Amino acid sequence: MTAQARPTDPKDLVAAMAAGDSGAPLNEFYALYSSTVLALLMKMLGTRAEAEEILQEVFVELWRRAPQYDSSRAGVVAWVVTVARSRALDALRARKRRYGSGQMQFFSEKHGPKTDGGRPDVLVSSTRWHQALRQAFKRLSEEQRAVLELSYFLGMSHGQIAETLHLPVGTVKSRILAGMKELRAMLPIIHRSMVA
Amino acid sequence: MSDDKERAELLAALHAAGAASEEDENELRVLLEADPTLEALVKDFQDSIAALASSFEPLETSPKTLGQIQKKIAREKGGLLNRLRGWFSKG
Repeated sequence: MTAQARPTDPKDLVAAMAAGDSGAPLNEFYALYSSTVLALLMKMLGTRAEAEEILQEVFVELWRRAPQYDSSRAGVVAWVVTVARSRALDALRARKRRYGSGQMQFFSEKHGPKTDGGRPDVLVSSTRWHQALRQAFKRLSEEQRAVLELSYFLGMSHGQIAETLHLPVGTVKSRILAGMKELRAMLPIIHRSMVA
Repeated sequence: MSDDKERAELLAALHAAGAASEEDENELRVLLEADPTLEALVKDFQDSIAALASSFEPLETSPKTLGQIQKKIAREKGGLLNRLRGWFSKG
């Protein structure tokens, strides 16, 4: 039987990057998260060219901020996603300043991410992790998904969501809380499906 | 659950979802200083929403992108080394 190499713990990769290593640890870190980050950026920005551009900024920033990463405050995925979301929201705000609010588009999952038309997006084969996540998230109600998508992917405050959806602020807040509790309850299920 | 706990839970959820107002963020900061155990709840919510954000069908990145990232980082590293050299040469 041949011994299989154990995958490196992502926290060790971040520690190596924090020590200034931009070689193999960065390559491995990029291989682990770039496809997921690109999918998130496409979801938020809608165009391949812009998503690829921001993807570069995200990984440079992750490398730069690696020394500040604190695993007691956030998991590696949460850290990566937070930086990616923040850069994408900056790009959306810049687009809004340039073109007005009409360009603040949101591409819901059922319509799928838009491409630039020049080349089809190549989907990386879906991992068990992503399949498990998508199954789990089907348990969120439409109302919960809507408020979480507006807040997380478009950066709207509860007040802006209330205005957009013509709902009382209290209703928006309670839907966000209920959705977040539902998501939190799903995490152990997802993790179990990964070790099964 | 006490009103305080419910309030803290709501603020943690709004913060993680990116929907908190500045006032909410300030209130959460005060609560976190008073009760550091709340940090775990905030982390839980952040991990949960990050899982949602990472659930989209992964997309293959352009083969050029990693090379471009490495070039940018090399430029930054070079810039930093030059700044340090300049700083030490002044000393």
